[in-house]
Amino acid sequence: MTADVETFRAEVRAFVADHGHPMAGEGVRVPRDPTDEAATRAWLAALYDAGYLGGGWPVERGGRTDHHPMHDLIVMEELIVGDAYRPLDQVMLASHALLSFGSDAQQDDLLPRIRSGEHIWCQLFSEPDAGSDLASLRTRAEPDGDGWRVTGQKIWSTDAQWADMGTLLARTDPTVDRHAGITAFVIPMDLPGIEVRPIREMTGYEEFCEVFLDDVRVGPEHVLGEVDGGWRVITAGLASERAFVGANAIQLQRLFDDLVALARLARLPDGTRAMEHEDVRATLADALVRVEEVKLIVRDTVDRILEDAEHPSDGPVAKLAYTELDVALTEAALELIASSVSFDEGGAEVAARWHHNFLWSRALTISGGASEIMRGLVGRQLLGLPRA
Amino acid sequence: MKSGGVDALPVPDPEWRAGWSSLVELGLTGLCVPEALGGLGLQVEVAVGAATELGAALHGSPYAGLVASTRALAAASEQGSPGNARATDSLGAILSGERICAYGRLDPTGSTARSVDGAAVAEALVLEDPATGALFLLDDPTAWSSTEVAAPFDVTRSSSDVTIDAAAGHSLGTDPTAGLLFGLLLAADALGGTERVLARTVAYAGDRVAFGKQIGGFQAVQHRLADHAVRVRGMSLLVREAGRSLAAGAPDAARRVALAEASVSGAATHILHDLLQLTGAIGFTWEYGLHFFQRRAHHDARLAANPRQALQAVAAIEGWDR
Repeated sequence: MTADVETFRAEVRAFVADHGHPMAGEGVRVPRDPTDEAATRAWLAALYDAGYLGGGWPVERGGRTDHHPMHDLIVMEELIVGDAYRPLDQVMLASHALLSFGSDAQQDDLLPRIRSGEHIWCQLFSEPDAGSDLASLRTRAEPDGDGWRVTGQKIWSTDAQWADMGTLLARTDPTVDRHAGITAFVIPMDLPGIEVRPIREMTGYEEFCEVFLDDVRVGPEHVLGEVDGGWRVITAGLASERAFVGANAIQLQRLFDDLVALARLARLPDGTRAMEHEDVRATLADALVRVEEVKLIVRDTVDRILEDAEHPSDGPVAKLAYTELDVALTEAALELIASSVSFDEGGAEVAARWHHNFLWSRALTISGGASEIMRGLVGRQLLGLPRA
Repeated sequence: MKSGGVDALPVPDPEWRAGWSSLVELGLTGLCVPEALGGLGLQVEVAVGAATELGAALHGSPYAGLVASTRALAAASEQGSPGNARATDSLGAILSGERICAYGRLDPTGSTARSVDGAAVAEALVLEDPATGALFLLDDPTAWSSTEVAAPFDVTRSSSDVTIDAAAGHSLGTDPTAGLLFGLLLAADALGGTERVLARTVAYAGDRVAFGKQIGGFQAVQHRLADHAVRVRGMSLLVREAGRSLAAGAPDAARRVALAEASVSGAATHILHDLLQLTGAIGFTWEYGLHFFQRRAHHDARLAANPRQALQAVAAIEGWDR
């Protein structure tokens, strides 16, 4: 098994080195121009063709006969190591939702278009007044013949400006409580009444969008899963990301290596390298301790996922540990940069990466369940404390 | 172990030696000694588990130093030269529980070791000269004098400054594993105490009602407990990983131990101090006993000159000082 896994890793590594479409920066997913977009779509299609994405799909839908859960983790790790574009929102979440809840007709129609790179997906979940508290969403789907007319506003939708399809959550039954009464739809993003406005974030990139839905007509063919059963789709979708938690270990190691590089290349006002100073080395050692702690937390979690023995709190523990450490590492890097007056050859690029990562790191502690939500889940599910 | 009730924290027991033989029967003294010498092999992971439990129980024995000493004595004993018969004899007496052995580090004078855990009750000493890594056995209590540290901060164990008659020391050669075990088991001790107090504080937060609800239901309390639970899990995994690495004789054992030491010595006292805040005024009392763990975790770090020593070791092993 170990030998097979390592052979697979070597294959993926070579494939990424030969064909990988580069990542423009941490968290940067939206193509900058049509050429970049065509290359990104071709890269995703190539990953599916090679069996590196979608390997765990049913074999008749294109999955591998020799798929192992470790494969998904290895692919994600190698994409990180190779600085290649890595999809998640764009295709993986939608694939998982379609495979779990889609009708045969939906699967027949939509899954091949994901594999070919024809369809990029986005999620139309969060609203201005429903972020971490998603169950309070207010977008309404009013009955209209055999379908609905949807009106509302969505926000923080990654990739919506270039997505062909969206997974939409809307309230179909306003008379019942929160989680009940929500339906998931899979809709083309070019339906009449949909307007997408990109939001420029503090990183300078435009990754998220506002999406306005004005009397958008959707039919029964657009319903994903059961009418009023949308909450199950959401929770299953969040769970599908679980295996990728393991890739965060590699990500942390790369960030840490970049911190060491920064300390070696940064020059202090007296002309010495930052790394020559014991306090800087102590800061790095302390950071390494935290990195190794969280790598073990992540590995521990992955071990349990692979054994199907995970605890409900494992995901929240790992996300909280990883994302908060990510922020702490960027803060340590920025302190080092602020204390420096110049950089040796290559250091300016390292510093620029850290400036971007510093700003981007907050996306991690806010999205996908803010740290405050994670702490509440850990408090209740791991420690058995009452709901706050 | 004495205890003030089902849910209460343990209290220090100066009479711990009366119960030592039952721990010896469990095999606690032989966990890092080869079977050929009467031990159970290099069971570092089990020793880590034992040290964690002893820390959680505020046990008075100098366990980390005792295990480090058995390792040093076993290594010397295995060399088989006639002069090492003394090491074999002492090892046997420590394994059987007849003798307690303390472990300390000599200062630059070569004749004094400061703050040696358990020296006041020990019938044997293993001392390390940090400058050379050389280890010495003193198996005749008349060959050293010890002065118990007055008004010690850690009241759960005794520490003494030891002055030796250098001529009376028997060379044990060098064995880096002994020092690594010492640091790792001290970290395990503080980890055990921190886990114990965290569990106690979580239970307290689930019981204690203020403003009409359990205080664990307030985010200001719950979120900090969640953060501590995550950090303690990381500390625990690092300590256990270091144990595995050391048991396997892995090339990264020194690095793994340094990371574990730095983790626990850097975080445990802060976490305990915040758990005290979350416990409120009752935690501030002598009787509640949370302070015993704070005192002990601090002293565990101090016995190994951590966190600074461990952070420097990490930096050196990573090659950052070159």
